[in-house]
Amino acid sequence: MKTRLPSYCSLLIALFAFNSILFAQPTSDSPLASPENGPRHNDPSWHALINTTVHVSPGEVLEHATVVMRDGIIVSVLAGQPGGVPPAAPAGAQLHNASGLHIYPGLIDAWVPVDADTPYSDHLTQHWNSKVHPSRSALLGAGLDKTKAQSLRKMGFVAAAIAPRDGIFKGTSAIISLSDPAETSSAQAPVIYKDRAYHALAFERGSRSPSLDQAYPSSLMGAIALVRQTLMDAQWQARAHGRNPQLPQNALDTLTDSTGAKLPLVFDVKNELEVLRATEIGKETSRSVIILGSGMEFRRLDAIAQTNTPIILPLRFPAKPDVSTVGRADAVDLRTLMTWEQAPTNPYRLIDAGLTVAITTGKLPKKQSFMDNLRRAIKVGLSEPDALAMLTITPAEMLGIDETLGTVEVNKAASLVVADGPLFDKDTKIRDVWIQGRRYEINPAPGPKLDGAWTLRVGENFSMALVFDGNTIKTQEEETKGKARKVKLDANTVSFLIDDEDDSKGSYTLSGVFTNNKLIGTGISPDGHSFQWTATRDQPIVAADKNTADQNIDEADNDDLPPEDLPGYPFGPYASPSIPEQQTVIFTNATIWTSSPDNIINNDWIVIEEGKIIALGTGPIDVMTKHDPVTIDLNGAHITPGLIDAHSHTGLFAAGVNEGTQASTAEVRIADDIDPDHINWYRQLAGGITTVNSLHGSANPVGGQSQTHKVRWGVSNPNDMRFQNAKPGIKFALGENVKQSNWGSRFTTRYPQTRMGVESFYLDRFTAARAYAKARAEYEDIVQSIRRLRITTQEQNKRIATLDEPRRDLELDILAQILSGDRLIHCHSYRQDEILMLARVAQSFGFKIGTFQHILEGYKVADIIKETAIGASSFSDWWAYKFEVVDAIPYNGAIMHDVGVVVSFNSDSDELARRMNSEAAKAVAYGGLNPSEALKFVTINPAIQLGIDKSAGSLEVGKDADLAIWSGDPLSTLSRCTATWIDGREYFSLQRDAAFRQQITAERQRIIQKLLAQKKPTKSDSDDEDKETEPESNDDKTPEQYFIADQVRKTMMQRYLNNQPTDSLDCSQCDTNLSIINH
Amino acid sequence: MTITRTFLASFTVSLISLASISTQAQDLTHKAPPQNHPIAIIGATIHTISGDNYSNSFVTFDQGIITAVGQDNSADSFKPAPGMQIIKASGLHVYPGLIGAITGTGLIEIAAVRSTRDRDEVGQFTPEVRASVAINPDSTVIPVTRSAGILTVGVIPTGGTIPGRASIIRMDGWTTEDLAIKPDAGLVINWPSVRPVHDWWMNRTESEQKKQIKERLAKINTFFDAAELYALARKADPATPIDIRYQSMLNILPGADSQNPVFINANDIDQITSAVTWAIGRKLQPVIVGGRDAPQAATLLIEHDVPVIITGTHRFPKRADSPYDEAFTLPLRLQNAGIRWCLASGERTAHERGLRHSAATAAAYGLDPALALKSITLWAAQILNIDETLGSIEPGKAATLIVTTGNPLQITTHINHALIDGKYIDLSNKQTKLNEKYRERYRQLNMLPDNN
Repeated sequence: MKTRLPSYCSLLIALFAFNSILFAQPTSDSPLASPENGPRHNDPSWHALINTTVHVSPGEVLEHATVVMRDGIIVSVLAGQPGGVPPAAPAGAQLHNASGLHIYPGLIDAWVPVDADTPYSDHLTQHWNSKVHPSRSALLGAGLDKTKAQSLRKMGFVAAAIAPRDGIFKGTSAIISLSDPAETSSAQAPVIYKDRAYHALAFERGSRSPSLDQAYPSSLMGAIALVRQTLMDAQWQARAHGRNPQLPQNALDTLTDSTGAKLPLVFDVKNELEVLRATEIGKETSRSVIILGSGMEFRRLDAIAQTNTPIILPLRFPAKPDVSTVGRADAVDLRTLMTWEQAPTNPYRLIDAGLTVAITTGKLPKKQSFMDNLRRAIKVGLSEPDALAMLTITPAEMLGIDETLGTVEVNKAASLVVADGPLFDKDTKIRDVWIQGRRYEINPAPGPKLDGAWTLRVGENFSMALVFDGNTIKTQEEETKGKARKVKLDANTVSFLIDDEDDSKGSYTLSGVFTNNKLIGTGISPDGHSFQWTATRDQPIVAADKNTADQNIDEADNDDLPPEDLPGYPFGPYASPSIPEQQTVIFTNATIWTSSPDNIINNDWIVIEEGKIIALGTGPIDVMTKHDPVTIDLNGAHITPGLIDAHSHTGLFAAGVNEGTQASTAEVRIADDIDPDHINWYRQLAGGITTVNSLHGSANPVGGQSQTHKVRWGVSNPNDMRFQNAKPGIKFALGENVKQSNWGSRFTTRYPQTRMGVESFYLDRFTAARAYAKARAEYEDIVQSIRRLRITTQEQNKRIATLDEPRRDLELDILAQILSGDRLIHCHSYRQDEILMLARVAQSFGFKIGTFQHILEGYKVADIIKETAIGASSFSDWWAYKFEVVDAIPYNGAIMHDVGVVVSFNSDSDELARRMNSEAAKAVAYGGLNPSEALKFVTINPAIQLGIDKSAGSLEVGKDADLAIWSGDPLSTLSRCTATWIDGREYFSLQRDAAFRQQITAERQRIIQKLLAQKKPTKSDSDDEDKETEPESNDDKTPEQYFIADQVRKTMMQRYLNNQPTDSLDCSQCDTNLSIINH
Repeated sequence: MTITRTFLASFTVSLISLASISTQAQDLTHKAPPQNHPIAIIGATIHTISGDNYSNSFVTFDQGIITAVGQDNSADSFKPAPGMQIIKASGLHVYPGLIGAITGTGLIEIAAVRSTRDRDEVGQFTPEVRASVAINPDSTVIPVTRSAGILTVGVIPTGGTIPGRASIIRMDGWTTEDLAIKPDAGLVINWPSVRPVHDWWMNRTESEQKKQIKERLAKINTFFDAAELYALARKADPATPIDIRYQSMLNILPGADSQNPVFINANDIDQITSAVTWAIGRKLQPVIVGGRDAPQAATLLIEHDVPVIITGTHRFPKRADSPYDEAFTLPLRLQNAGIRWCLASGERTAHERGLRHSAATAAAYGLDPALALKSITLWAAQILNIDETLGSIEPGKAATLIVTTGNPLQITTHINHALIDGKYIDLSNKQTKLNEKYRERYRQLNMLPDNN
């Protein structure tokens, strides 16, 4: 393996060599230059742009200025004298009259994806995961396509950070100039400003691989775990290298070598939530992070602003929604409409939020739309200086090349944009782009404007009127009107054909040159005679009506600016500018179901303040509150504790419920995948749910870490939904799902494929975890003992550094927490044999199980559950959906309860979760529980199971003010939830909901009307994009296009093609593997 | 409540056998024998559905047919006929058996196990297949579903554009023929989506979709054209060779002696509009199934008297911004719009017993509870064309009844007795047996008292 290294090392040396010769154009001094073929070329490179407007930096403008560039460097930038006299240019420089033109710093694109080769293809040095290749370099491989470079130059770009595409650790980016290598000899390859600018990352998941087993990670949480583990591994390995430099190198070293350790991690995110996740990783691993954004950041502005993370922003705006018919408008939801309207405000909102933002041309379906989109962003609020900064000095600083690029200043690279007007004006054209003193002509200076009315004469006898208007020439000879054909206008020449209208003999060919304010030319008649002609201009045309029309359109558009205020959170329907106020309330005349030993209290009162229940009882209310209370008379309506769903997958659909690719994925955290904006949170609030246990799916024996959430609808940061101090949990699963029994015939090779193997797998993982925990503990003990020594901290650190540190393993960390009792297992289970198996495994390793979930044969071994687990969380009455549930009975909950198990009923379905009260009633229907005991199945019992019963699950003084109010008996199917309170805040009530509905209707109509008012057809947009998508937009798949979602996509397409409804997707309703993986 | 047998000893014997059947898994249970003596249920409140409720009343039936329904307080003066069995039910309630209009009963045993699925035949157009021939009379699903009071169900095939023909069955019988009330109850059509879809999962462009929509609608028309031409040809010349596909469609085409309905699955407004105009244009008898956006098409549906079978209220709203209770209030909105409708459960096959719950949700969200009950009894019978014998308690109709502890809309209401065509139904099932079996385990472990 050592023998492999030289090639890579020499590459690095070569890169550093590039680094050191940045500006000296390679000469014979360069060890890399090829021998000259013929005499050396020594063209002087000395240019002066005279009498021009120079935009030195955003907001700093010099008039009548002169910019002098020599050998690729700006050597002077001088403003004109008062009175408009430009400074003199040095003798010897080539002069360029740039009067009337605008000079800008060359633009910088901080992210241009390229294909890169993967070094280390041998199994000893490459990472096990095919998406982890941090040692790739954007400089190795196909590099930047020539036409791509050209298209960037045309937009005014002079430099780009090229970054490898594909993967989670994609490799390192390099910053190169956008000069054209073909125009230079090989030694003069494009200048590399930085051979390593940043590590490019993305939370890429899934693969087109047919095998799910090789698709790790398939979820966002899996990708996050892989990134965390890899960064920790690289750091651990760097420490090991420090102790023993002889250790062989491998693919991870580039992350922690002397340069690599300091480089920022640039995360290519798919949506606004991933911004937060990427930032958290940076904090955890002490790495600086830059976000390559999605364009949707405005939807989560506050939380993103709080991270203070620099952002490289694409100008991707969604296509216009199609609202052209009743049905089509009916199919578009408000969030889509609002996103369409607000997306162009994203750049200015991020700037206003105080973030450092650069703009990239990346992620656009059509590159041509870049400038149009930028102008839209400016129109809706982005200032022009900010726009300029985002394209010049900001990316230069972000990438650490601001000493060279970013402004028009002395000693910087002579990389400029020359435009014929203010850069962002609609009619402005870029004339030239200069890169390192080399000029690239983009749009030649237009020839003389010939517009106007002319008289053409041939000899003395013939004359004809011509009207030039742009590229058209209208003709008039006496009464005959016509139009010249094949008009060609060039710098100062013109040629065209005039058909012989009289006798249809053919066409006259005319060519002329503009000189002395007239056109002088020659022509050939249809019969071959040559003749001379001249034309003189009688009057120029004023295209007055045209301009007015343009203005009108602009004015009309101005009326349509998106609303300044965003709706709050979540972005979309049912949003509030802030979460509801915490209130002091006395609820009176209530029927209170306490779910405490008091059970039901009739006609009585409960007082909440500062998010807690401070009193409840019967009779006269005598409670002192700190604030003036509001009294709500419930007229006999019922209050219950807020309902708790011990098995939920709400908000996990887009990012992935399962990281089901490996048999154990304890390292993944379901909290990483939570989408707090999902409408199903709100819908569950409307069913009285206040707390849920968000669980990983059941695709593998050891799933991911769970997270208990309160349904705090409207948070900006999803972490704010977390239930503080809830006992940590993890999902386990048994039976058909983990054996992949119903996954299809391809899935037959992952261990375990039998219930026997499931036991063995657990025994092995827990044995491994025990050994791991022991090794870690021993190491920590030694570290602690060194810390106690009376020597300097420095000396302590030195000694610690010599210790052989066991590698941290995020999976075993979590399994060790189970062994130590710090984390509860919530285990998907059905059959009695497997329940007993896990119970005995847990006993043999000395820990207690949290809950058995589903547990449809729990009634067969209730005694075992009682002994080994905190409780059982079951479906009320599900059965017969797969073979292992043939013996499921709705009496399950009641039997387990009667035997003494703490039983809850859960939903495992976003839809069912909306009526957990009537699910509880099924314990009365099947098994005859008394109603207050049945209600506990969805209140205090799940609270006990989740370790949150100190603060939730019952109505008792000191507990959180989480409660649901019902129109009648909560166990009655004829009652409905009328209000839901969490932390003493009214998150849902029928009144609030009614107000929301009005707002939604009004807002939908406002935006739909706006769309209908637009003249351009709306429907073609999406089709256009389909056709013109460039290959690089592969980097830009929407999150839904990843693996798990691919399965759903297939299902949905299948349903569509089978004429089955596709409108309301709930995983519990799709007849695919997916649903089975979930329950 | 007790069941007393009077007058004839031989009947007492048969009752004992009824009571002792229930020690096996339900699919091993004997089916009910035909009613061979008159029965009276007395003392209960009779909820006729078609008319008034009569408290402390009675209903009598013989040979499977209802013979009389008492008035208020008629129980006390009730005089049993000779040989009549009496079911004393004071404090209880009698309703017509509930009707699950759209189900997969007997066609799917365990959804995840392919070998137990008989609901989707291969091909886009398979009118020749019908549900009743493949319904497993010993399915464990049947006894479980009927113990929730559902005594009659429509069974429909799924998948493809024309998945086959619906059948209507009673929830007790030794053979598929015993089960069948109407083996051929109408043709099922899954209407294609007729507007381009822009959802994230769609991987076809708008123009591709438009082309495909056109093609799919054209195929449906071509198929029906062919069926009509076939009918004409057969009528004109009985020697025209038989095509069983078109032959199966004769009774839904215009001009059929008793024209059967077409059950068209359609949910969005464009689908419903397109399906109704198509069916009316062809002089078919359409019933819209699903009908999510039917209130938006109210005028059209009323104009042509097209009824809607709502497939459950426990569904998501169509858009994120839609009211959370949109599906809960669909029945109310159809009712207010004046559209004829009934309710099916919309659940997966084994969970179709949730029908009562689905109807109750409509009532919780504004619908008159009496109408919610009607929508799973009489209205369902009318839309399925079985109201001549089912759906309400009236003399002359089938004695297909449930005796309950209260309003069936409440989950906690217990079904104490069920009768199908006067046959006394054993309401135990595999699940009740497992309940018994394992309670015994804990009694043996002294973890449950003897009486639990």
